[in-house]
Amino acid sequence: MMSAVMEQRPSAMQRATEGDADSFAMLIDPLLNPAYRLAAVMLSDRMAAEDAVQEASVKAWRNLRQLRGDESSLRAWFLSIVANECRMTRRRRWWSVVKSADVESNRRTDAPSQEAVTDLRRAVARLSPDERLPLVLYFYLDLPLDEVARTLHVSRSAAKSRIYRAARRLRSDLTLEEVS
Amino acid sequence: MSQNFRRDLNREFDAISGSPSPALSARVRAALAENRPARTGPFWMAGLAAGLIAAIVVGVLVVASFNRHQTGVLPAGAPTPSASPSSVTHSPSPTQTPADNLPAFVCAGPVSLAGTSSPTVAFVDAVRTGTHPGYDRVTIEFNNGEPANVDMSPHDGTTFTQGASGQQVTLQGSTGLLVIIHGSDEHTAYTGSTDIKTGYSMLLELRQVEDFEGTVQWGLGLSKSACYRAFYLTNPARLVIDIQNS
Repeated sequence: MMSAVMEQRPSAMQRATEGDADSFAMLIDPLLNPAYRLAAVMLSDRMAAEDAVQEASVKAWRNLRQLRGDESSLRAWFLSIVANECRMTRRRRWWSVVKSADVESNRRTDAPSQEAVTDLRRAVARLSPDERLPLVLYFYLDLPLDEVARTLHVSRSAAKSRIYRAARRLRSDLTLEEVS
Repeated sequence: MSQNFRRDLNREFDAISGSPSPALSARVRAALAENRPARTGPFWMAGLAAGLIAAIVVGVLVVASFNRHQTGVLPAGAPTPSASPSSVTHSPSPTQTPADNLPAFVCAGPVSLAGTSSPTVAFVDAVRTGTHPGYDRVTIEFNNGEPANVDMSPHDGTTFTQGASGQQVTLQGSTGLLVIIHGSDEHTAYTGSTDIKTGYSMLLELRQVEDFEGTVQWGLGLSKSACYRAFYLTNPARLVIDIQNS
């Protein structure tokens, strides 16, 4: 059974590379959920996250030939495209205007329940999207450190350092050994 | 830690993200179907195509840049010049400009321009200079139309006699060009310099040598004998004098 799957996957990759949309859709389908969660946390906006995943999927489809390695590299490559798409979304001018308005609105709406917000939630909210990214990849999506590094386009030690720095902003007594 | 930290953190991330809509997968499939990448040939074909496109783009840019210089690069804010050489008479020309709508450079003898619909007196309101690949340029702008006539001629040396006073002035350079503008004045609307030293390779200095009784004269000091051309541009009316610098 396992060997049958292993034989099938490279051929799907091959067909996708040759332009078969269904094959590519099949390959990235298992990645859509983690991609969405990554985007949603980076953007703090669920609809925008789905838009970003869709756009990233199309970009990945167009640039599939640039993928180095085999299907095992696909997840990190695709998630890095999603992260880039999120950054681009945030750079767009309308985004800052709309989101600023949303934040103000939410503050007013949620004001009575502020006491229920945990310290951790407030700390997460203070993180920038690029600080959230390594935490999402490592803790939330449970990617191995090597794959986090490939997604971030940094070395393994640099990825570990980024995770640690971001996590320290959430929990000050965190030790580096706990991020391993 | 760490399990508690991870659990708590993931709970917060869950609260932020929720779950994707069930339609996300279908939505992505539809987007992929609509954005099918073009099939590509071997990489060498892509490289060849990219090279050809780059060559075409560079060629177009070079031609566009060259034409822009030929039709008069004026200081920022000046309207796009439209060449309208009018009634030009000059000696035979050995050098034809690439731009069909501009007169040829003249390497010896006088050049005359006749204005169209000229006012009694055309008021100079600006004098500018510029250097460009192939030529140095003088632009004399009028605020109410082209002057009746302009005569230009090479001048021996760079010493000119001032029209009203009879005093002599010597400009920089080894040879000169005299520009006589009939039916014009330079004291009604012009407040700029009457002695301009450029520092260019060919056109070194220009100086007003007469502004009297409806005639304006400028002397141009050149580093050496050079071919030149003159024409009018419109909107606003401008007398353009190009001196070849290479």
